[in-house]
Amino acid sequence: MAVSGLLARRARVVALNLAVALLALAVIIPLVWMVTVSFMPRYASSAFPPPFWPTRWTWENYHELLARRLIDGAWFDYRIVPAIGNSLFVAGVSTLLGLMLTVPAGYAFAKLKFRGRERLLQLLIATLVVPGQVAMLPLFLIFKELGLVNSYAGVILPSLAGIFAILFVRQATLAIPDEMLDAARLDGAGEMRIFVSLVLPLLAPVTVTLALFMFLGSWNDFLWPLIVLADQQRYTLPVAVAAIAREHAADGELMMAASVVTTMPVLLLFLMLQRYYLRGLLGGSLKG
Amino acid sequence: MTRQERTAWAFVLPVLAIIGLVFVLPTTLAFGLSVTDYSIYALADWSNLRFVGVGNFTALLTTPLFWRALSNTALFALLGVPMAIAASLFAALLLDAEAVRWKPLWRVLLFAPYVTSVVATAVVWRFLLNERYGLINYALGWVGIAPIDWLGSPTSSIPAILLFVTWKVFGYNMVVFTAALSAVPTELMEAARLDGAGRWTRFRHVTLPSIGPTLLLAAVMSVAGFLQIFAEPYVMTLGGPAQSTTTVLYFMYDQGFKWWNLGLASAVAFVLFLLILALTIVQTRIGRRYEWL
Amino acid sequence: MESATARWTATRRALIAGLPALAATAGCSPRRDPDALTFWAISYEGDYAPHLMPAFTTATGIAVEVQTLPASAAHEKLLTAQAGGALPDVMMLYNGWVGTFAMIGALRQVPDASLVADQFPGVLQTAQYFGRDYAVPWSVAPQAQFYRTDLVERAGYASPPTDWAEWRRMAAAIKRRAPNDYVILAYLNWWDLLVTLAGLTQARPLKDRDTRGNFASPEFREALGFYKSLFDDGYAPVALSTDIQDPVAAFAQGYFAIYPSSPPIMLDFRRRTAELPPERWGVTRMPGPNGPGRVSSVSASVAVTTSSRRPDDAWALVRHLTSAASELRFQELIETMPARASAWSAPQMRQPRLAPFAEQVREPALWPAIAEWEQIQTEVQLIAERVVRGLMTLDQGVATMDREVDRILAKRRQLVEAGRIA
Repeated sequence: MAVSGLLARRARVVALNLAVALLALAVIIPLVWMVTVSFMPRYASSAFPPPFWPTRWTWENYHELLARRLIDGAWFDYRIVPAIGNSLFVAGVSTLLGLMLTVPAGYAFAKLKFRGRERLLQLLIATLVVPGQVAMLPLFLIFKELGLVNSYAGVILPSLAGIFAILFVRQATLAIPDEMLDAARLDGAGEMRIFVSLVLPLLAPVTVTLALFMFLGSWNDFLWPLIVLADQQRYTLPVAVAAIAREHAADGELMMAASVVTTMPVLLLFLMLQRYYLRGLLGGSLKG
Repeated sequence: MTRQERTAWAFVLPVLAIIGLVFVLPTTLAFGLSVTDYSIYALADWSNLRFVGVGNFTALLTTPLFWRALSNTALFALLGVPMAIAASLFAALLLDAEAVRWKPLWRVLLFAPYVTSVVATAVVWRFLLNERYGLINYALGWVGIAPIDWLGSPTSSIPAILLFVTWKVFGYNMVVFTAALSAVPTELMEAARLDGAGRWTRFRHVTLPSIGPTLLLAAVMSVAGFLQIFAEPYVMTLGGPAQSTTTVLYFMYDQGFKWWNLGLASAVAFVLFLLILALTIVQTRIGRRYEWL
Repeated sequence: MESATARWTATRRALIAGLPALAATAGCSPRRDPDALTFWAISYEGDYAPHLMPAFTTATGIAVEVQTLPASAAHEKLLTAQAGGALPDVMMLYNGWVGTFAMIGALRQVPDASLVADQFPGVLQTAQYFGRDYAVPWSVAPQAQFYRTDLVERAGYASPPTDWAEWRRMAAAIKRRAPNDYVILAYLNWWDLLVTLAGLTQARPLKDRDTRGNFASPEFREALGFYKSLFDDGYAPVALSTDIQDPVAAFAQGYFAIYPSSPPIMLDFRRRTAELPPERWGVTRMPGPNGPGRVSSVSASVAVTTSSRRPDDAWALVRHLTSAASELRFQELIETMPARASAWSAPQMRQPRLAPFAEQVREPALWPAIAEWEQIQTEVQLIAERVVRGLMTLDQGVATMDREVDRILAKRRQLVEAGRIA
């Protein structure tokens, strides 16, 4: 009886672990496949049964995608390299400015008393119900008048309206005891000083999390950059990749290389900082 | 004004100004646009613009493609939300089991698709779903299922895209549910176990009620997400076949930025907004009735 | 002009397959130069336009930066760019778009009659907006049927017939020999074949000064009926452009025997002679109800934008691009057919395989030069797809087309009635 009970538990342990491993495998296969196909020679993946591993590893897809080549006196390239630069720039600036704007605001909503605070807060929460796409059409017309269409600023500005970020920072700031701030005030510290030297260090982990959210969000953003960017030189990666994908339907290997270039930087960033990211998602309740 | 108040305004005003410029002002203007016939002619010359009242809304009601887009979108949400929430809950329950080892590793792997770009992974999935050379049909072949023309047939195109979307997003709610599950009171669980409650009974009467609010919130957020599907059909199917994957947002993009019928497109945006608002209210009501919120 | 032109570019992968060294062609330009004149072109033209620039730069000292737009998104990108004031100095556009872009004030009128001298009047007309020249024709691309000589011969024909009745007999014979393959490729999300057929039945798609749909007319019904029958009889696969990943390979493998396309497809064939030897394909005119006739052609034009700050330089570039010499060079490079009448007397234009095009470049079918035309074609094809898939009958289909098109034209109707536009 005791032995069979033990065996049953053993079997359960094995089954559970196996189930998790299989699930993880199924989820990760598309990403692994994306990488292996990107190293296959052209058209090698269009075969049955579908090959999972290249018979011959080659960089030709990446070379074709990324290198500018002189052919018969004219340059040819997919402009993926500028797109990488654009994406890095746009995501970097969005993140930096976004943090500078939302972290102080979130703190103010949590800890500083000012007239209309609660009402403003309620308004902010209410706006979350409105989908951003409602604003897109008139926003284009506004940006047209401001001369921001087809500019980096035109892509970055909307991403700075971080209502979620404000609420996120506010939530984290509420955990800071009021007494601490009041003590500093009694010591004669100015509000700016309190924020910079007392609050910011405490918010550092939250800020890293938020930065990661913002960077990933901006990097992966598609609809607005697609609308507002007309000039290929300014395309971000997803827009550039979508443009190639809609034309080069058959070039599986080339498209996989483009997908790898688009996803790998953020995947690596996520893997490096996943603790912050997942903890941010959980409000700190996740252990291990 | 106190010093504190001055600082507070200095802290909140810049971001509020931006929110006003890029969100509040355009949303208000969207309402204005939706009652005009802003079209390519107005782009040419403002004097061609006219007030049409609810004309755009009534025009939408008689446009078959709009209804098709609405029903496609509804289908995306009706099938997609349960699919994604179930997948998240399943994965979270698996990860919650004490016997499972290396939890952080699994969590990261299962979460990874969420951080990738929709466009890039949609491209990958277009190939995975290929009728002849796709891995998915190949895998189905092992269990004796004939190849499915996933993206080429009007009946399977939505499930195919949902398969991709679920894969992409389930990790997010999985992590959220993991947190909720770890907050289920252990004493209650023990008590139920001692009372001889089976696994299912314990799940139904202890786990589910305590993670109910989290589930509801996740459902609300997911509905909004599924109602806003755009990039997937844009990259994978161009809205076809037979417009079976044309969503409300795709329709809005086409009308607005392809044909420059901004008046009509704004009306579409408003319908989308009302839909999301109505669903949120309904879900919150249901949640209140069951005392989850 | 999404569908027809998408064909041009969808086959760009073919070029890539045949010539790895030339693989990346989605865009080409020298390093960004603030003094450079900017030029946007679509598809192959954009890919290869840099080859035409050294001569221009040497002669004038003006550098040119070329950008390629993907054909499937070119129309919306150009519109957005105009709305945002981001258009280049010179741009290529398909002739069906001239009306739209002239109407919204994006194009300058051609300042010098000599630019449009030596053009076929029929082609020139497609680059006009209410009788005024807004663009200079650059190339002409009538649709034709490219066919697999061996498959057609085996069915007992030297080349595909050009009248419907006989064409059907050939199709039946081909289908009998290979029931699992098809006779003709017609993507259900591209409108070009249907529009070509409508041209051949001499359908007039709009009526009442182009303010109402005329799709219930007997001519259009005839075209749509023939189109639908291709699918009903199993001659054409029920497929979208996203379904068939490599049409040139499918053609080479005999998946279908006839590939209706425009001249640049010959570039793909040329690049892939290993798969498709030259003797295995031929080309002849599209079949009409009673023999060949006028077909629409996705002709390309070049125009100078109103936002250009250097119109003189820009027109100089247009003059260079549309010179007979440049057009003949492009014919060699990417198989486009020259729009200049005099270019056709060059020896290179006398190749036998160009004969079907020489016959019909003069007289393309004419479509309404109105701002909504692109949207109308797209909308009509969406309904045609539903008719083909059996989701509605032909009668319901043409009635729906009329209703939808009337809706699209509501604003135009109102403006015409108010006398604000012609």
